[in-house]
Amino acid sequence: MTLRRLLLLAGTLLILFLGMYSWNQRTRFLDDLAAKLGLEITGAVLTPIRSAQDTAESMWDRYFDLVSVREENEALKQKVAELEARLLANGEDLAELKRLRALVQLPVDQTWRPLGARVLSGRMGPNAVLDSITISRGYSTGGRPGTPLVTHLGLVGRVLKASAHSSIVLLLTDPSSRIAVFSQETRAPGILVGMGTGQKLEVNFVQRDAKVKPGEILITSGLDGKYPKGIPVAKVLKVAPSDYTQFMAIKADPLVDLQHLEEVLLLEPTGAPRPLDLGEAPKEFIGPPAPKSATP
Amino acid sequence: MAGAIILQAAVPGLDVLTVGLIILLQERDYKNMLWLLPLFILLQEGMGTRPFGAVIVWYAAVIVLFKMGRWLFEVENFIFVFLLSACLGAAYYAVAWLMAPLQNLPLDVQGTLDRSLIQAIFVPFAWRLLVATRHWNPHDQEN
Repeated sequence: MTLRRLLLLAGTLLILFLGMYSWNQRTRFLDDLAAKLGLEITGAVLTPIRSAQDTAESMWDRYFDLVSVREENEALKQKVAELEARLLANGEDLAELKRLRALVQLPVDQTWRPLGARVLSGRMGPNAVLDSITISRGYSTGGRPGTPLVTHLGLVGRVLKASAHSSIVLLLTDPSSRIAVFSQETRAPGILVGMGTGQKLEVNFVQRDAKVKPGEILITSGLDGKYPKGIPVAKVLKVAPSDYTQFMAIKADPLVDLQHLEEVLLLEPTGAPRPLDLGEAPKEFIGPPAPKSATP
Repeated sequence: MAGAIILQAAVPGLDVLTVGLIILLQERDYKNMLWLLPLFILLQEGMGTRPFGAVIVWYAAVIVLFKMGRWLFEVENFIFVFLLSACLGAAYYAVAWLMAPLQNLPLDVQGTLDRSLIQAIFVPFAWRLLVATRHWNPHDQEN
């Protein structure tokens, strides 16, 4: 093959590729096809593998339990007697525990329905450049693109793309992640930006007069329309006036350990109307009180 | 294929299927490549997070580098695969560098360098292992 033919072939292939690329940018046809087929096959392979892994791990644990069960049995019987006595004395502690459990429940109303999902893997393949995980729910099982993900500790991220039974989740640490947040105590609004795996998060656009303190919890404000309001996201580590902008430079740490996730909760919108906190609006409009001179 | 997916789940950023593509090219098995290559592309694009297109460029780079190497070397040789994998490591970084501004994504220089190095180290050893297992297969020997 002559050099001229080679160049001609390379040029034709390049034009074809760029044509396909720009057509796909407009229609998203190939992205959808790859998500529906490629991601579905990946999920179908990894789901039984994870189940088998769980079964093997539990069998291994049970074997070890059996080995030491005789020795432990005697000791446990003795402990049970002690603990029963202690349990009776700790009735008040149990009541407190119930109250605390209710307190740490996720602050979501009936407009969001939590759905459990298994983490199948971290980022996979040469094309996985974003900080992401793959989970065992897809668009037909509650994991549609945009669905927020949480654990009992706080926010994880949101679904980026989905096949029927698996989806890829963009973690809040990814540099392309933006989340509208409030500081919990001072209610200072800002935008939480990911800086990459293992890096601290940054909070941008917080006014200089805001009284945000280190240790304060950042919660979702819901102003971006992507996440429900009130989900804990990160803890403030460092607050200082920025050298380059007119805002504060705030560093934060995610509340959830994103490197060791096993199970997550998807918050699926139910479509139910949001309950009103301030009571029902009056049926008739009541204007401001009339001035004294106008009253008869 | 399932083994490749499991391995890719264990090692972030690694492309295990490249080794399969190299073996197909070495054996000039273009019939199987005709259906396997689109499947590889769909799989990698599906499990990835970049917009569609980068894997096509990546596999095109693998094929072009292989064809260029064929002019100079004996392709069944381990040294050839070793040199090819070193070039593939560079190509891995080049594709990430090329596609990042095109797809409006940030380029993690250190992370991409690490992953391209892992890819370069992985290919020759996986190729050697796969070729060895293929030679043990009696069906292949009959052919």
